[in-house]
Amino acid sequence: MWRLKTLRHKASGSANDLEEFKHKRREFEKVLRQARRNKQLISKRLLQNVDEDEEEGDSMETGSIPLSPEQVREMIRGVQSGGEEKAACLASLRKALRNPESQVTFIKSENSMHMLIGQLSSHNAQCQLEAARCLHELSHSTQPSVGQACLPAGPYLLTYLSSQSTKLVELCLYTLGNLCPDSAVVREKLLAQGIVPALANCIHIQRYNLAVVEAVGFTLSQLLQAKDATEKIIPAVMASGIVPHVISALTPDPEFGYGPAIECTWCLHYLVSSNLDNSMLIAQGALSQCSAVLLTLGGAVAQGNLEGGIELLIWPLLRCLGNLLVSGGDVMPEDTRLLAALCVFSQAYLHPQPALSRESLWVLNNLTAGSSGFCSGLLLLNMVPILIQFLSFSKGINSMALRVLGNIAHHGPEYCVRLTQAGLLTALCATLKMAEPEVVTLSLEVLYMLVSSNPQVVEEFTRLNGVPLLEAIQYNSEGEQRVRAAYILDHHFSAFSEVESLSS
Amino acid sequence: MLQAELIELLGSVAPIIISENIPVTESRESEWHCLQQKETGDENAISPFRFRPQRLRFAVEDEYFEDGDIHRHMYLQDIVTATADDEHPPTISEFRCHIAGCRQLFDTLEGYEHHYNSLHRNVCSNCKRSFPSNRLLEMHILEWHDSLFQVMAEKQCMYECLVEGCGLKFKTSKERKDHLITTHSYPADFRFDKAKKSGRIREKKTQQQKDSHMEVFETATIQQESESMDFSLTPEPESMKTVETEPMQTANLKPRYSYKVPSSICFGQGSVRGFRGRRKK
Repeated sequence: MWRLKTLRHKASGSANDLEEFKHKRREFEKVLRQARRNKQLISKRLLQNVDEDEEEGDSMETGSIPLSPEQVREMIRGVQSGGEEKAACLASLRKALRNPESQVTFIKSENSMHMLIGQLSSHNAQCQLEAARCLHELSHSTQPSVGQACLPAGPYLLTYLSSQSTKLVELCLYTLGNLCPDSAVVREKLLAQGIVPALANCIHIQRYNLAVVEAVGFTLSQLLQAKDATEKIIPAVMASGIVPHVISALTPDPEFGYGPAIECTWCLHYLVSSNLDNSMLIAQGALSQCSAVLLTLGGAVAQGNLEGGIELLIWPLLRCLGNLLVSGGDVMPEDTRLLAALCVFSQAYLHPQPALSRESLWVLNNLTAGSSGFCSGLLLLNMVPILIQFLSFSKGINSMALRVLGNIAHHGPEYCVRLTQAGLLTALCATLKMAEPEVVTLSLEVLYMLVSSNPQVVEEFTRLNGVPLLEAIQYNSEGEQRVRAAYILDHHFSAFSEVESLSS
Repeated sequence: MLQAELIELLGSVAPIIISENIPVTESRESEWHCLQQKETGDENAISPFRFRPQRLRFAVEDEYFEDGDIHRHMYLQDIVTATADDEHPPTISEFRCHIAGCRQLFDTLEGYEHHYNSLHRNVCSNCKRSFPSNRLLEMHILEWHDSLFQVMAEKQCMYECLVEGCGLKFKTSKERKDHLITTHSYPADFRFDKAKKSGRIREKKTQQQKDSHMEVFETATIQQESESMDFSLTPEPESMKTVETEPMQTANLKPRYSYKVPSSICFGQGSVRGFRGRRKK
């Protein structure tokens, strides 16, 4: 069973420990970012055995001394010799296999895999389990050769997905999930051996066992992240009947925790954001389910509840909603509560996770683009001041907020008037001076819509000393900005062109 | 919307649908301008504005999704912590001076405003010097760029005292300078002669300075009469934390506290509104 494992920092730890920990984490993050840029972002999960009486180490600790080839051979002999000791031998082997070097030694040893598979398919339930645990340790290896060596076990692992023992099922799922990202060869074999229908069947049978649902979600997400997923994997997944189960698992169970929903939502994100046409997913209820869950989470976050990794679930939900709005024809939700939820997320996560805040604004853009209903909603529910707050923050936040405001202004003078009343002009006087060219250009676009709507806006902008600002922009090196500023001045502030500006 | 109202809205069990939308007016500008263009052929009628509401799609591997993907994988690898993540605060937007050739960055709006108001208002379009007030700019243009002034100055007293309300005029720039020192108590170390190089002196920031004919920057390439008065203003360093200047052509440019704009700056197309001097079209 999986739980969001929050790294507990030792209570007695000193400030130095914390710094070192943070440093390690930052380094780790850099590695992950580089991996993503190389399209090599892979993660594996190791199921910790909570039943056994072992000391709890963190998952990165291997500790044990690597086995020599002779020791490996001896362990294999120990298992093969049979008797009462088999399970115990397998257990010690499993512990030894935590060491990456031992793993390599093991797979190179003659008959090692043969023995393991033999135990996996034996009639002794305990040996079965221990053998599966050994395989699980091996699957966690970062060495591609180790993963590939595990391939012969594939058909057995897949068979056991229909086992009655949920413990075994979970173990096999995470093992398969770890093996998938290793190489295209591994994936091809597993696909040929029917991993997708097996997963579909498993989640169907075990749909009330949330731990298993979580494990299926994890394995499926590993498959869907493959580089060649769009051609090779997604069609099979869409055809398999697994999608409705994935969609229904989006609703989190408050008692169990967010784990299953997190895994399944990431699966849905990989599906939605790889497909250009998502009408089938929408027909299966993806859009309404995402909206519903976002509303629930919005309520929780609005009350200040940011604990328990809720952002891990919000993030993929936002992406699903954002991309479904573009790729599913013109099916639009109508519920203005969505606006409230998105505003809540963008505000609440601005400081802890600015990228999440930015993606919330992105979804707001997709909702408001071409929807007078949502634009009216933002105005009538008085959410414009919230949007204006975002204009101070760079790296995509203010530009996306400007797009949303532009979407509103584009609907006509009635909308522009209300935007002006909410104080947008003053904010634009600041954004027009910002360093990012995109922000200045978007600000000019929005300004143009506002001043075109009403002569009072022209007056107000003049009162705010905006005219010299537009004049200054005419000396900017960016043509896009010069041309727009000049146009606004010529068409709306032409009374000023002949008068020399009298300075302070 | 207040937090409480948001909570209430989200607490509603039933969907909330706006019954009556605010009336929409279709954008008629673009069509109107297209028509106008056809009629007059005037290129000014083409609107440069391109904004249209559009739904944006991001592919799964897009850079836009990087941060979230990293967060997800850190969770998978058990690196996510319970403590609040203070590693990634949002970045606050900086401000940048618009003037091509200046382009300095500022952390705050106030920093930008002060910079712009000090240096880019009241600029002489001939020699690009900027002045703290319109009056001084006018006087400068008169004395430096008006040939009629030169002619008349040979016969009459044309150099007007800088102090507002005084009104006395003098035959030469030097006489005026002496007058300023003796009658108006200008400091004796006030720099009057223009140096060829950019010497900068820390000026006492007295009120008188505001009234004097101050040149805020100079360019070495322009030759001036030696009688001209000029000194440079050193800006207050507190108003800006980061000052980035683009590589500039003038050699006598120091990277910090320097507001020099090279003579080669391009002020772009369009009329020179707000700047005295010839209107360039």
